[in-house]
Amino acid sequence: MTMRRSSLLARFAENILWIGRYIERAENLARVLHINETYSRDQTDGPDWKRVLEIYADLEPFSKTYSTPDAASVLNYYILDRNNSSSLVESVRAARENARSVRHLISTEMWTHLNIFHGKLKRLTQRDIQLPDLSRLASSVILDCQTFEGITDGTFARGEPWCFYEIGKYLERGDQITRVLDVGFHRMSQETPDAVASVQWNVLLRSVSAYYAFRNRYPAGSQSDDIATFLLYDTEFPRSVALCVQRMTTRLRDLQMRHGLEHSVNLEKARRGLEFSLETGPGTGLDPQKLHVFLDQIQISLGHVGDAVRETYFTHS
Amino acid sequence: MCTELSLKSCNKPLNALSCVRCLSGERAKRGYMNQRTAGAGTTSPLEGYDAGEYFCEMFGRRGLGHTAEIRKRLNALDIAALKRRSRDAEHELLNLGITFTVYTDRDAIDRILPFDIIPRVLSRKDWEIIETGVKQRIAALNLFLHDIYHEGHILKDGVVPEDLVKGNENYRPEMCGVDLPHGSYMHICGTDIVRDEKGKLCVLEDNGRTPSGVSYVIENRHLMMRAFPDLADGIPVADVDQYGERLMRMLCEVAPKGVLDPCVVVLSPGVFNAAYFEHIFLAREMGVPLVEGRDLEVENDKVYMKTTTGLAPVHVIYRRINDDFLDPAAFRPDSRLGVAGLFSAYRKGNVTLANAVGTGVADDKAVYAYVPRMIRYYLGEDAILPNVPTNICREPAGLKKTLANLDKLVTKPVGEAGGYGVVIGPRASKRELRELRAKLEDDPANYISQPMVNLSVCPTLVGRAVEPRHVDLRPFALTGQSTWVLPGGLSRVALRRGSLIVNSSQGGGSKDTWVLL
Repeated sequence: MTMRRSSLLARFAENILWIGRYIERAENLARVLHINETYSRDQTDGPDWKRVLEIYADLEPFSKTYSTPDAASVLNYYILDRNNSSSLVESVRAARENARSVRHLISTEMWTHLNIFHGKLKRLTQRDIQLPDLSRLASSVILDCQTFEGITDGTFARGEPWCFYEIGKYLERGDQITRVLDVGFHRMSQETPDAVASVQWNVLLRSVSAYYAFRNRYPAGSQSDDIATFLLYDTEFPRSVALCVQRMTTRLRDLQMRHGLEHSVNLEKARRGLEFSLETGPGTGLDPQKLHVFLDQIQISLGHVGDAVRETYFTHS
Repeated sequence: MCTELSLKSCNKPLNALSCVRCLSGERAKRGYMNQRTAGAGTTSPLEGYDAGEYFCEMFGRRGLGHTAEIRKRLNALDIAALKRRSRDAEHELLNLGITFTVYTDRDAIDRILPFDIIPRVLSRKDWEIIETGVKQRIAALNLFLHDIYHEGHILKDGVVPEDLVKGNENYRPEMCGVDLPHGSYMHICGTDIVRDEKGKLCVLEDNGRTPSGVSYVIENRHLMMRAFPDLADGIPVADVDQYGERLMRMLCEVAPKGVLDPCVVVLSPGVFNAAYFEHIFLAREMGVPLVEGRDLEVENDKVYMKTTTGLAPVHVIYRRINDDFLDPAAFRPDSRLGVAGLFSAYRKGNVTLANAVGTGVADDKAVYAYVPRMIRYYLGEDAILPNVPTNICREPAGLKKTLANLDKLVTKPVGEAGGYGVVIGPRASKRELRELRAKLEDDPANYISQPMVNLSVCPTLVGRAVEPRHVDLRPFALTGQSTWVLPGGLSRVALRRGSLIVNSSQGGGSKDTWVLL
């Protein structure tokens, strides 16, 4: 039988992109929950759970169901709540449902792992998400997401579908890190005491697995603009915005050059817009307000790229 | 929503024949005396096993030679070890997501088709009968389908009553005069075969529309080889892995004329279909796209799929959607699963549908009764695999025999209503029999009757013992230029004691099926 050029259904391309996004989303959420619990214990009134709601701009939807942002409510909202489309259980469920549709295109191991992962989360009850168990639970979720990524890396053919997976993954990762940064700097402008600030910066770095990488790069200490620069621009750090944009750009190019997908003006425009925003930067010196505007712009630009990918590749008729 | 894994072709009316399987006969219990205690008290799995009055697939009546080594190996294990392997296997089914899915509003509930760790073993001799019998049957059915959609010789010659065919709800007059590559209508066919208490193989029904279950044949083998590699070690068992490749080759054979490098797709109703796992499986095994109606489009009588690069032509569609739903423009206008204009493209010969439209008339339960005569008519041969003896009441001899044995036979109306009006003689009240007799005399053409079939049994791990459980067999045949039968097939097993129901919704499971070389 002869080899034929893959003709990937538009619908499947979209499914695959979303697998990448949802798993990345779950991993980042688990990181944020984990870190928020572990590294802010020394604060007098315990971990600040409102902070997590701020990162994801969820204060409003949260308050519709819950009265106070205490640990139990926030954890329930982000881990078990079936009405929160980005709770851990819902993200992984959505990843799995997307995978179900494209199961013939992904590897058996990818599917099996998602299946097992989802099975674990589905069995969780209120009892399992108590504070003392949170660290263990979050670590296991992070590990399952990383395992999935590793399995995908090791088994998923580097064809057109894989490009869409990568694009989804990096779009989400880039977005997630800007949110973490945004909230970090926002709070910093209000809470000035140095001791508190230092702890907060470390929390932030750890939440994106950047603590040691940053220390390595900047042994001198933790100037806040160093942190921002690192998380935004360090192309050796696998979660930096610059690296995410770089990887995504490569995959978009692969789609066109290697897989014969059509070039679209809108997509190219959106991609350039994102690069431009990133290159322009937040300006020197630490101005939280400017940084906030800048991060907002990056999030919007990432959104534009996502929309353009959808319009260009998923809506053929 | 379908809550069972429909191994029967979709929407097919409950075949009255299958009702024979749906009886948990009281008579059956005789054969099961003392089994549980016998099984639990010993450590060797097969010790104390007693199939009673039924034909046993592992032991035959007196002990079958070809399974001797397998029995020896099974007996070398203890029940606990067998149980452990069985648990591992079922756990793996869930992890691998080899499941049929039941959807509620919020949840997708995955269920596995229970898997029994003790294989069903077919001797080479039995398999030869099955293989040649199935090929012969499909040859006749394809000739029949071509005939009734063209000249209609068999109807004119009075071998099969014309009204039975043309009045059948699955007869598609739209298919008249449509020529198909190689005259193949039932490209994929699943023939349900049972063995009676004497060990004789016979056909219970043909599934010539969208038969499912083949994915389990292959997955069960993989599972078996992982869970129980030592059982088959050195025993020559026919390979089942070639199915996907064979299916692909066959579908390419029946591609529209002039298409050298056809684009094949599997058309599924979508993730909500209970057999979705199988649709994925088929697409994967063939390496082709799995599409839904919304992914296809017809322009100028040509079929295309919507890809990331735009529209790409489609030449062969292995559809797992019933005729009714294929094309809202040609059949049910309310169908959202199909593709408008598909049938017109099909009639023009621009796309191949497998199976063909209109095959349902040939696997109908009333037409079933005539298959042995079809074989004689078209091939000049006797059926290698007989039907379950069927009395056709529209014929005087059949009517007479039925009326004389109403209390012993299963009598079924052949009309459109599935399962409705089936009377099981041994269980019917005097009044019911009286009413049936009146109906039969009033409209004999609407009825057939059959004896109750006591399906053969197979040693099966139940709880902590090995006990006999009833099984059937569905081999899968592919027909393009010629017919190929996948060696083995799906052995479904009724896990409930005494039950003849092999359907998954009724506590049925499946076994790996070994054809010895």
